[in-house]
Amino acid sequence: MPLVITPAIVLASLRYSETSKIVRLATREHGVQSAIAKGALRPKSRFGAALQLLSDGVAHVVVKEHRELQLLTAFDVTRVRIGLAERLDRYAAASSLAEVMLRFAPPDPHPDSFDLLRHALDRLEAAPERDVEATALRLLWALVSSLGFSPSLEACVRDGTPLDPAGQLAFSARDGGALCGTCARGHATTILPVDARRDLTALLDPDAELPPLDERHAAAHRRLLSRFIRFHLGEGAALPALEFWEVQPWRAA
Amino acid sequence: MGAIEELVTELARLPGIGRKTAQRLTYHLLQQPAGQTSRLARALDAVAERVGPCESCGNLTEEQPCAICRDPRRDAALMCVVEDASAVAVVDRATEFRGRYHVLGGRLSPLDGIGPEALRIEALVRRVREDGVREVILATNPSMEGEVTATYIQQLLSAMAVRVTRLARGLPMGGDLEYVDGVTLAHALVARQELR
Ligand SMILES: [Zn+2]
Ligand SMILES: [Zn+2]
Repeated sequence: MPLVITPAIVLASLRYSETSKIVRLATREHGVQSAIAKGALRPKSRFGAALQLLSDGVAHVVVKEHRELQLLTAFDVTRVRIGLAERLDRYAAASSLAEVMLRFAPPDPHPDSFDLLRHALDRLEAAPERDVEATALRLLWALVSSLGFSPSLEACVRDGTPLDPAGQLAFSARDGGALCGTCARGHATTILPVDARRDLTALLDPDAELPPLDERHAAAHRRLLSRFIRFHLGEGAALPALEFWEVQPWRAA
Repeated sequence: MGAIEELVTELARLPGIGRKTAQRLTYHLLQQPAGQTSRLARALDAVAERVGPCESCGNLTEEQPCAICRDPRRDAALMCVVEDASAVAVVDRATEFRGRYHVLGGRLSPLDGIGPEALRIEALVRRVREDGVREVILATNPSMEGEVTATYIQQLLSAMAVRVTRLARGLPMGGDLEYVDGVTLAHALVARQELR
C-alpha cells in the first residue's frame, strides 16, 4: 500500500466512533479523498487539534485504489484559519468554497483548483469587513471557473454572436452566460443593468479592482452565482452551505 | 430478524461498540438470571419515557424544570452556554461554576445544513432578556464550528446589556510543552494573560 504525502485542506470532518474521525480532504496530488483518522478524538491523539475544518497541512495517507475510505496516518498542520470563524460572512463563504470543492472537484488530481482554494481561504481570512462580500463572490466565481465552468459575457453562449460591450446584459444561468437578443427571446434570463454587468465583469477579473457592492447588489450577485452553480454543478443536489451563504440567516437576527 | 440478531444490531449502533462486542454483550445477557435482563429493559424504557430536555435550559431531565434550574443557591445571573447536554455534566463536575446552563443542541454547521434556526438560540436570547442574566459564558467546543457558533451568539447579544465571555483556549494541565500540538500552542500564545 503506497503512502502518499501531499499538501491537503480539511474540507469536512465527522465523528466516526468514540475515538475516530472521518475527514474529507482536498489534496493537491490526489483529488478529494475521504480518510479515517484513527484515535483522533483521544485526548492525547497525535492529530492533536490539527484536523480543524479549513486548515492546511501535509497529509500522510495510505491510499488503496478503488477503496473509498483511505487511512490517514498523520496530518502536519501548517495553518489553522481561526480568523474565518471570527465573522459569519467569512465562514459562510469559506464553507461554500469547501462545498463546491467537495461536490464538484473531479476525481482526478486537480492542482489548479487546490491552489485556488488555498489562496481563496487565505484571502477570505484576511479580508476586511467592507471587502468580504466582493472577495467571496470573486473567489467562488474563480473556483467554479477553475473547475471548468467559466461564464461567458463577451459573446452569446448559444450562437457566439459578439455582444455589445455597453448596455445591459441578458444572463442565463442555465446556458452558462450571456445571450444575444435573438437567443434571449422566450428564455428565462436575468437582466443585468449596466452597473451590475460592470460589477460582474470586475468580479470575474482577478486583476480588476474589487467593485464596491451595497447590500442589495451583493444579494443580487449572490443569487446569480448560486443559480449558476446549481444549474451547472448542482444537478438538483442540496447545497446547504451555498444556501447559507446566499441567504445569510445571521443578518435577520 | 430473530430476537438475538435484533439485539446485536441495536447494541452495535451504540458508540464505541462494534459487532463483535455487541455479540459478546448479547450472549452475556442471555446467560444472566431472567430478572436481570428485565431490569435492564425497564431501565431503558424509563429513560426513553421520562427523560427529556428541560424546557428552560435544554439539559436532560426527568422533571420540569431541571434540578439545576430549580436550585435557588445557583446564580441565575450567570449562564454557561454549551453545545450538548453531555457538556453540562462535564462542566458542572469539573469546575466551580455554580450558575445556570443553556444547551444549544448542536453547533452552526453550514455544510451540514445546520443554521441558527436549528439551535436553541432564540430561547437563549429570551432567557438573557427575561431572567436578568449579567454574564454569558460561551463554552462551545474549541473547534471551528464551536468558534463560529460563539461568534454568532456574541454578535446577537452585543446589543444587550450583558457581559459575554468565551472559555480560554489554552494549554492542557499536566502536559509538557514539547508534546503540545502547534495549534494549541499558537492559540495559547494569542490568548496569553498579563501577570499581576
Ligand atoms: Zn445568441
Ligand atoms: Zn434546566
